[in-house]
Amino acid sequence: MPDATSLIPVFADIVGADHVIADPDRLKALAIDGVVAKLMVSPKTMEETAKIMAAAYKDDLSVIPIGGGTKMALGGIPSRADILISTKRMDSYLDYDIDNLTIQVESGLTIAAIQAKLEAEGKGYFLPVDPPHSRNATVGGVVATNDNGPKRLLYGGLRDNVLGNTVVLANGDIVRAGGKVVKNVASYDLTKLFIGSLGSLGLICRTTFKIGLKPEAEASLLLPFNDLSKAGSFLQRIISSFYYPAALEVMTANTMAHRKDILKTEGNYIVAVFCEGISEAVDRQMKDLSEIGKNEGALAAVPLRGAQHRDFWIAYRDFADDWSKTDPNLILLKSNFVISKHAEMFAASEKALSDAGLRYALAAHAGTGTLYTAILPGADLESRKESIIGEIRRLTDMAVGNDGNLVVERAPFSLKKQVDVWGRIKSGFSLVRGLKERFDPTGVLNPGRYVGGI
Amino acid sequence: MEKKQLLQKLAEIVGKDDIRTSEMQLQEYSYDASLIKGKPDCIVIPESTLEVSRIARLAHENHVPLIVRGTGSSLSGGPVPVRGGIVLLTTPKMNRILEIDIPNQRVVVEPGVITLQLKNELAKYGYLYQPDPASEKTSTMGGNLAENSGGPLCFKYGVTTNHILGAELVLADGEVINVGGKSLDNPGLDLIGLVTGSEGTLAIATKIILRIMPKNEGVKTLLAIFDTVNDGANTVSEIVKSGMVPSTLEMLDNLAIKAVETFYKIGLPTDAAGLLLIELDGLNDGLDRLAGQIIEICKKNNAREVSLAKNNAERDQLWTARKGAFGATGRLRPNYLVNDGTVPRTKLPETLRRVGEIGKKYNVEIANVFHAGDGNLHPLILFDERDKDELARVHKAAFEILQVCVEVGGTITGEHGVGVEKLGALSLLFSPADLNALRKIKRVFDPDDILNPGKLILMESESSERKEVVYA
Repeated sequence: MPDATSLIPVFADIVGADHVIADPDRLKALAIDGVVAKLMVSPKTMEETAKIMAAAYKDDLSVIPIGGGTKMALGGIPSRADILISTKRMDSYLDYDIDNLTIQVESGLTIAAIQAKLEAEGKGYFLPVDPPHSRNATVGGVVATNDNGPKRLLYGGLRDNVLGNTVVLANGDIVRAGGKVVKNVASYDLTKLFIGSLGSLGLICRTTFKIGLKPEAEASLLLPFNDLSKAGSFLQRIISSFYYPAALEVMTANTMAHRKDILKTEGNYIVAVFCEGISEAVDRQMKDLSEIGKNEGALAAVPLRGAQHRDFWIAYRDFADDWSKTDPNLILLKSNFVISKHAEMFAASEKALSDAGLRYALAAHAGTGTLYTAILPGADLESRKESIIGEIRRLTDMAVGNDGNLVVERAPFSLKKQVDVWGRIKSGFSLVRGLKERFDPTGVLNPGRYVGGI
Repeated sequence: MEKKQLLQKLAEIVGKDDIRTSEMQLQEYSYDASLIKGKPDCIVIPESTLEVSRIARLAHENHVPLIVRGTGSSLSGGPVPVRGGIVLLTTPKMNRILEIDIPNQRVVVEPGVITLQLKNELAKYGYLYQPDPASEKTSTMGGNLAENSGGPLCFKYGVTTNHILGAELVLADGEVINVGGKSLDNPGLDLIGLVTGSEGTLAIATKIILRIMPKNEGVKTLLAIFDTVNDGANTVSEIVKSGMVPSTLEMLDNLAIKAVETFYKIGLPTDAAGLLLIELDGLNDGLDRLAGQIIEICKKNNAREVSLAKNNAERDQLWTARKGAFGATGRLRPNYLVNDGTVPRTKLPETLRRVGEIGKKYNVEIANVFHAGDGNLHPLILFDERDKDELARVHKAAFEILQVCVEVGGTITGEHGVGVEKLGALSLLFSPADLNALRKIKRVFDPDDILNPGKLILMESESSERKEVVYA
C-alpha cells in the first residue's frame, strides 16, 4: 500500500500546495484517540473533494473528514488514518432561497455563521437546529453525528429539517440525495441514510435545510426545584399538555457552574423552559407555566428575556465544553430513552454516580428523552477508571431497558479502549454492515469509528 | 416449485381458508387507485409476524415475488403485482392497535390498521396522529409507511416519515428485526428512515411505532375565494412570508370548484378561479389576531370573499370542498390521472401557468387541487381510457408536467410514490451515479428482488433510465 505522503503532489495539484498539510507536529495536534494522520487536505469545492477521494480510493488510503473538530472524540478508535479531509474551506451558500424557506449550504460552514447571516436577513430567519458546541460545530459535523439540541422538542431533529444531502462516496462518485422541497418521495430516502452516519458511507459536502422566520417572541423560564421528583412531575405535566414549549430541560445545580454570570438560581435542580411563537402564546405560556411550576413545588419562576435568555441557551448547550476546560478527562455520555422516563433516568444516573463516589453534572432534554451525563474524574482518572467503566455499563443497561441506548461521546483514550462507545448493538446490524460494504467496499471511510467498529 | 406445491406450503403456514386463488379474487387484487394493472398468483391472509416471516422465507427460497397490500388506495401502482407473485393482505387479520402509550406519546400498530380508525381511537385520549392523507378513511398505516404519505397538515407537521419512529420488519429472507424504537435518535444508521417510503421493496413492516401528539387547544379554519389562481398563490406566499405557520394551506382551481359544487352543492361560486383553505392551530391566545391578519392578506390579494368557521360544523363544511375535490373532479369524466409533482412554493404561479399551457397543447382537461403551502401540485388530468388517442396525449402531458416541476427545482412525486408510474421519470431527477446509489440500498435489503419487484427503482439499469411515464 502506498504511503499517503506519496500523493502530496497529486493533492497539491488539486487544492494547491498551501492546502496540503504534512507537518507531523500540526497533524499530531489533530490526533484522534492518539492516531495521527499522514496528511490533511483542505478542498475548496465538492469537485475537489471528489478528486481527492478518488485518488485516495485508488491507493486504498483511508479518509477521515474533519470540520470544526468538535466531535473528533466521538466514535471508536480509528483503525487507520491516512488522510484528514478538512471541510472548513467549503463554506459557501449555494441556494440561498429565503422566500421558499430553504437554504443549501456547504458542509464546512458553522451553524453559528449561518444563524448570524439568517438573523440579519430581512425580518430575521433561523435554522431550526441548535446543537452543542455552538460556536464551532459545522453543518457536516452536525449532520454526520445527528447532533440535536434542546429545541428538537418543537422543531424536530435533523432528520426532520434536512431536505437533502450531496455526498462524495468512497470512490469519488458524487451522489445527490433529496432536494429542496419538503414533500419528496422520489425513490429511497437516501438523505436520511447519511444523517448520523459519521462519514462511514460518504463525505457530506452539501446540505439543504428547512429554515424558519424568527418567531414574534421568545423568552425562557427557569424553575429551580430542590426535589427531583417534583421537577419530574412538572415536566411530565407540560409534556402531556397542549402547551408547546420549544425546549424543556432539567439539569443539576452544578451543570452550568462555569457560567455563574448567567445562571444565578438556587436549588438542587434547575428546570429550564424555552417558549417561542406568537407573542400572546408566549406570554400565556410564561404565565401559566410559572404558576403550574410553583404549584408543583418550584422554589421560584425566573423569567429570562432578551440577551439574558439568549446567552443562557448557548451556555447551556455548551456546558460539557466548559467542564472539559477544567476537567480535560471529562467523560460525556448521551443516553436516549422513552420520554416518560426522564426523571427516572436522571435520578438513577445521579444515584449510581454518587454511590460510586464520582463527580458529575447532568442535563436532560426531558421532552425528547435525552440525557447528557458528564462524569468529572479530575486528575486521578486511573484509580477511578474501573468504577467509571462499571457505571457506563450500568447506565447503558438502564437506557437499553427503557427502549434506548447510550453513546460515549467523549472519553480519554485509556478508558475508551475498554468500552463500546456506541452502546448496545441492536438487531438489524447485518443491514448496517451490508450498507457499509456496498457504499464503502474497501473500508476506507472513517474506518473503525462507527457503530460496531465498521 | 410448482404453483400447486407453493399453495400447499402456504396453506401449511396460514391455513387453506386464508388463501384465495379464484379468478375473480385475483382480478380483485390486480389494481390500485392508479391505472396500473397486474394479476397476482395468489392472495394470502397472514395473522402474525411469524406467518409473514415464514411466507417470506418460502417466497425467497422459490424466487416468487411477494407484495404487501393494504386497501389498495395507492396512486402509483404500489401494491399492484406487475410481476405476479403472492399478495399478502394486511387488513383482514393484522389490523390491531397493539399499544396506546400515552405517557411516552407513542402508539404501536399492525400494518392493516386504517388511518382514520387510529385517529378516532386516539381522539378518545385527546391525542392526534398528525399525518392526514386524503385517503385516511380507507388507507392503512402499512400503506402510509410504504408510501411515506403526505396530506394537508404536512405544511406544519411534516409527512409520515416524521411520525414513524420504529418498526418490526420482516426482511426478504424471513428474518425478523426491529429498527428505530419508541425513543428518538438511536445511534446507528437510520434504517427506519430508509424503509419508510420504500414502497414495500425493502422489507415488510409487521409492527409500526408512531409518534402522537396532544391535541391543540385552538383551531381556526378559513376559506377564501379568488378570481385568479395567481391571487390565491400570492396570498399563500404572503402568509408564509409573514412568519405564520398555518397547519394547512390548500387550493382548488375553477374546474375542481365546479366539480365539488356539482356534487356537493355547498354554495361555492362556480365562476371562481381559486379557493384557498387555511387552518391555524395552537394555543387560543393570539389565534384571533392571526386569523384577522390572514383575512387582511386575502383581501389585499383581491379575495372576493373570506369566511371564518365559527364552530366545528362550519369547519367541517369548509373542509368538504377540499376533501371531496378528488372524488368530485374524477366524476366529470370516466377516468382521471392524478399528477403529484412538488415545486418550491414561489414557483407555484409559474408552474400552474405552464400546466395550463400543457393542457391546451395536448387538448386535455386539467383540474388542479394542491397543497399550496408545500408546493405539492395535484393536476388531475381528465380523460376516457377507451379513447386511445386521448390516453396518449394524457401520457405526454403528464410527463411534461413532471419535467416542469423538476426544471423549477422540484421533484416528480411529493406523496404518491414512484411505483410503476414514474420509474421512467427518475432520470429527470437523478444522475446515473445517484441511481446506482439507490440500487445499492435495494441490493442490501433484497438482493434477489423478491419484495415488490418492478417498483420504485428497477434493478435493470436501462429501464429506470428511460424517459417516460407509464400510467396503464
